[in-house]
Amino acid sequence: METQSEEQAAAETADSRGEGEPPQVAGAQAARPEDRMTLLLRLRAQTKQQLLEYKSMVDANEEKTPEQIMQEKQIEAKIEELEKEIEEAKIAFEMKKLALDRMQLSSALKKHLEKINTKTSVLMDNMKQILSLNKLVMKSQQETRDVEEKLLDVRKKRLQLKQASERKLLEIQSEKNKQKDDLASMENSGKIKTIQQNLEMEIQITTVIQHVFQNLILGSKTNWAEDPALKETVLQLEKNLTTIQ
Amino acid sequence: MSVLRPLDKLPGLNTATILLVGTEDALLQQLADAMLKEDCTSELKVHLAKSLPLPSNVNRPRIDLIVFVVNLHSKHSLRNVEESLHHVDATFFLGKVSFLATGAGRESHCSIHRNTVVKLARTYRSPLLFCDLEIGDFRVTMAQRLVRMLQICAGHVPSVSALNLLSLLQSSENPSLEDL
Repeated sequence: METQSEEQAAAETADSRGEGEPPQVAGAQAARPEDRMTLLLRLRAQTKQQLLEYKSMVDANEEKTPEQIMQEKQIEAKIEELEKEIEEAKIAFEMKKLALDRMQLSSALKKHLEKINTKTSVLMDNMKQILSLNKLVMKSQQETRDVEEKLLDVRKKRLQLKQASERKLLEIQSEKNKQKDDLASMENSGKIKTIQQNLEMEIQITTVIQHVFQNLILGSKTNWAEDPALKETVLQLEKNLTTIQ
Repeated sequence: MSVLRPLDKLPGLNTATILLVGTEDALLQQLADAMLKEDCTSELKVHLAKSLPLPSNVNRPRIDLIVFVVNLHSKHSLRNVEESLHHVDATFFLGKVSFLATGAGRESHCSIHRNTVVKLARTYRSPLLFCDLEIGDFRVTMAQRLVRMLQICAGHVPSVSALNLLSLLQSSENPSLEDL
């Protein structure tokens, strides 16, 4: 048994207030065996209880609540966002640094140029050469651009021509088809007409012949009803040919 | 900034450790003495601290019960306790923390209203005990109570766990008794 003040705990000054009384555990050693048994039993119960507590603690810690999972997900999303921000900041910083470097370089160059003789320096020559080269580059670029434009124009024209020829071909084809159809219809109509005319004429001729034959038989004054063959012929001549068609 | 966690160490055999946190050194010492005088089957260890967090360079046994002592006569003690509470792990509040308000007997000296302490204890879902530690008999009674609670928290009472101590909340949350 002891009292210990945490404020002075660095010195580990355990108060010896409990020393006056006999500590229970130590006292049990001198006691009878029955007492020792009860002590052991009590210790067993204590240990069991403590084990149970630890077990329940472990069980409780193992289960992850949905809230925790959600929290973890949120944290991960947040981390990603923050990393993105860091990247953006880094890029911005790099850009700024580059711009600053360029500015410093240009100012240094300017100062340097002011100091030295401008006509004889290598730098000026270099710069002039660079300028002329740049002009050349720009000129050639302009040329290539012109050529490209021409090429584009030509291509455009070709495409237009192609489209026009396609349209014309289509027109020609449709025209041809039309002509064919017309011809066919025309031919058909002419033939039918002539055939019909021919038929009518033939019918008329046949009717006339029929009448002639009838009158011939009637004029011969034979009894056509007696001869079955003759009867058949006469009856046949009675048929109106216009109804045949 | 170390957070105090329960059950992070193995328990000592037949030992139960209580941590008293409060600004009133003398009162805490008296209470500790009273607790040690109690007849108890377990070996008691009483640690006193003015505030949390505790120094981390000390090897201390597993702490089974924390008692925050608030003196109703000084606002400083309440603020100290409130700040110390941040250094206690949430799982400690499953019955292993209790508040002890002292000095309610002399109402004229009180600078903190009782309701403030009641609210504090209710916020942390921990039992609140009232006791005038300056009066000897009361102190002895409180020591008995604390020893019993400590034994339960340390797991020395079979089939009763610290969670059962939360039933103490019912009496403290009953406003009719407190306000009358």
